[in-house]
Amino acid sequence: MVARERLTQLKQRFGPAIQRADLPAEDRLFVFVDADAVRDVCRHVFRELDARYVITVGADDRPYSGTYLVAHNFAFDRDHVLVSVLTHVPPEQPALDSISDVVPAANWAEREMRDLVGIEPVGHSYPKRLVLPDAWPEGVHPLRKDFAMNQVPEGLDDTREFAFDEPPPGCTVVPFGPFHPTLDEPAHFRLYLEGERVRGCEYRGFMAHRGIEKLAESVMTYNDIPMLAERICGICGCVHNVAYAQAVESAAALRTPPRAEYIRTILLEIERLHSHLLWTGLACHIVGFDTLFMQCFRIREPVMWIAEKISGNRKTYALCLIGGVRWDITPALKTELLGVVDTLDREWRPVVAAVSRDKNIQKRTRGVGVADKTLVKNAGLVGPVARASGVAIDCRRDHPYAAYDRLQFDVVTADDADVWSRLMVRMHEVFEATRIIRQCLDRMEPGPLQLPIHDELPAGRMGLSSVEAPRGESHHFVITGENNRPRRWRVRAPTYQNLQGIPAMIKDQQLADMTISLGSIDPCFSCTDRLETVDLRTGAARVWTEAELKQLARHTS
Amino acid sequence: MLKNLCRKMFGRSLWVYHANSGGCNGCDIEVLNVLTPYYDAERFGIRLVGSPRHADVMLCQGPAMRPTAQALRRAYDAMPAPKLVFAIGSCACGGGVWHDTYNVLGPVEKIVPVDFYIPGCPPRPEAILYGVAVALGLADKKTAPVTFKQAELPIPRYHPGDLRREGDMIVYTKVETWMRQPRG
Repeated sequence: MVARERLTQLKQRFGPAIQRADLPAEDRLFVFVDADAVRDVCRHVFRELDARYVITVGADDRPYSGTYLVAHNFAFDRDHVLVSVLTHVPPEQPALDSISDVVPAANWAEREMRDLVGIEPVGHSYPKRLVLPDAWPEGVHPLRKDFAMNQVPEGLDDTREFAFDEPPPGCTVVPFGPFHPTLDEPAHFRLYLEGERVRGCEYRGFMAHRGIEKLAESVMTYNDIPMLAERICGICGCVHNVAYAQAVESAAALRTPPRAEYIRTILLEIERLHSHLLWTGLACHIVGFDTLFMQCFRIREPVMWIAEKISGNRKTYALCLIGGVRWDITPALKTELLGVVDTLDREWRPVVAAVSRDKNIQKRTRGVGVADKTLVKNAGLVGPVARASGVAIDCRRDHPYAAYDRLQFDVVTADDADVWSRLMVRMHEVFEATRIIRQCLDRMEPGPLQLPIHDELPAGRMGLSSVEAPRGESHHFVITGENNRPRRWRVRAPTYQNLQGIPAMIKDQQLADMTISLGSIDPCFSCTDRLETVDLRTGAARVWTEAELKQLARHTS
Repeated sequence: MLKNLCRKMFGRSLWVYHANSGGCNGCDIEVLNVLTPYYDAERFGIRLVGSPRHADVMLCQGPAMRPTAQALRRAYDAMPAPKLVFAIGSCACGGGVWHDTYNVLGPVEKIVPVDFYIPGCPPRPEAILYGVAVALGLADKKTAPVTFKQAELPIPRYHPGDLRREGDMIVYTKVETWMRQPRG
């Protein structure tokens, strides 16, 4: 058991600072540590044990344990283990040492925790408001248990404007968004330009923060939340739906029937198909290749139709309940789905060939938006962005869920770390997705779709689940609770991490390359923002100064 | 009257601008789908434009949100008159499931005047196309009013036994006859 080995290592190193540890399964580890040791433990896990940073979760645990709870989640991808480093924070003065100087990827997560739960990250290099809207008063934290879901706080001032930082000297400020032709969703970038070159940017996003986590913790029940979860994002909704159900199942130690696991896998791959085809189309549209945009959407449409035939809706499949799925794949649907993936494979090959040989696309995308391995590690980039940089991480293989442990597929990677590599990775992943669907249809045995659950789910248990969305790892963290609903549910969408890499990717590039660089992470602001609108401010210089980066590099070597 | 006005003013071509004020992206993608080969709204002269200053119609998706309210209003003000606003999807029409959370103001009509509503989560591309066509007088309204018969409340807990059994369908009852009855 690797999780036990990791725990032994941590115990040897930190000894008495580790209060207790839970090993609920072979691939899950929860370590409770002293508040003053949390920074050292996280540095050890992130730098010396080389774990990948996933997310930081703050929770108001006062009604239950009398304290706040902070969890720093990490993933050991090679060992197939998800680790959560937990700390109780005293309620009188909720503050905890910031880990963002040793784990730069935690920058946003800690600022979000400060906004929404009111736990101060002490020593954070840039503790500016991230999620809450401009009008929101200071000192009101919507995710605290004493704040009602539909409360309008006192002191809300709609006239208050966001305080943007001063642009660097000699730079022109160009606003980008919130409503911009190449953005489907609202987000605002302030670009600092020197001539045509982007020297930095400030991001003010979280405009689609709809309070979903609060809504779930306040009024929804376990089986309502999957339907809410898939409305986090209209493109990768099924991913959130499955990830939530799996997180609860992992907390309550429930095992879904095999047929349900295969059906989850099939729907997830159908979603990957439509998302990758959509993205390829949009990427071509952004670089001005509209013919291929139309072709991609033409090829994609039958995928939407078959999804509708299976689930009753073109998107938002309403697939999962806790312990099972709601839709079956009948023999007729199986035949039809096979036909759809065969046609898709056949039609997709010439598109891949056309794009691979197209000089215009290559000129627009090669060497653009480069995210090297150091950035991938430090910003915690995931999904096709990481794989295009030669970092072969894929939750389907590394943290197998649903039926992926019984299937053969390749993790597609590329080495150039630019937009072109991401395009190639995504285009070839389409073939892997069809391969997975065929295997599932082939191996699926008849059986029940739903695990019978007769008892209340136990309260106070924690569950983690990582699902490989088309854009990267979607991570859900759940603490089960009373009244048939979770106490805390935290969603980390892949764009949450990937967007933090954008300032470094667009730095010193032409302004015209900004849109495709941003497009290349397949940004999904609604996922990222799910909780609340926040103003986000990054700017590469803010996230890591060059000196800090050098220091980090020295630290690792 | 609006129909006639629309016919007159927007008869030749309609340039649309889509503004997502904070929805989940589902409706955006369906709007995009409307422009692609299978649905091809351009045959009706409908074209997506990037700037509200070029647009006759604004397609709103997503609920009215605290952070984007002002920007949405500014985009609406930037459109030249005469102008139309379509609310597309459940969020834009009624606020969606999160209509009363702390960061959501409700349906988009709280910010901009909405002329036509196309509900659905998300609405199918055909529904969007049909809604626009009905609004412009290109197609006749055909739908019958329906009511949604909810399964018994409270909403099922996680006990599978409490859920709707296999084969049970949600019932839509036609209420055309009911609508015609005089109401007291």
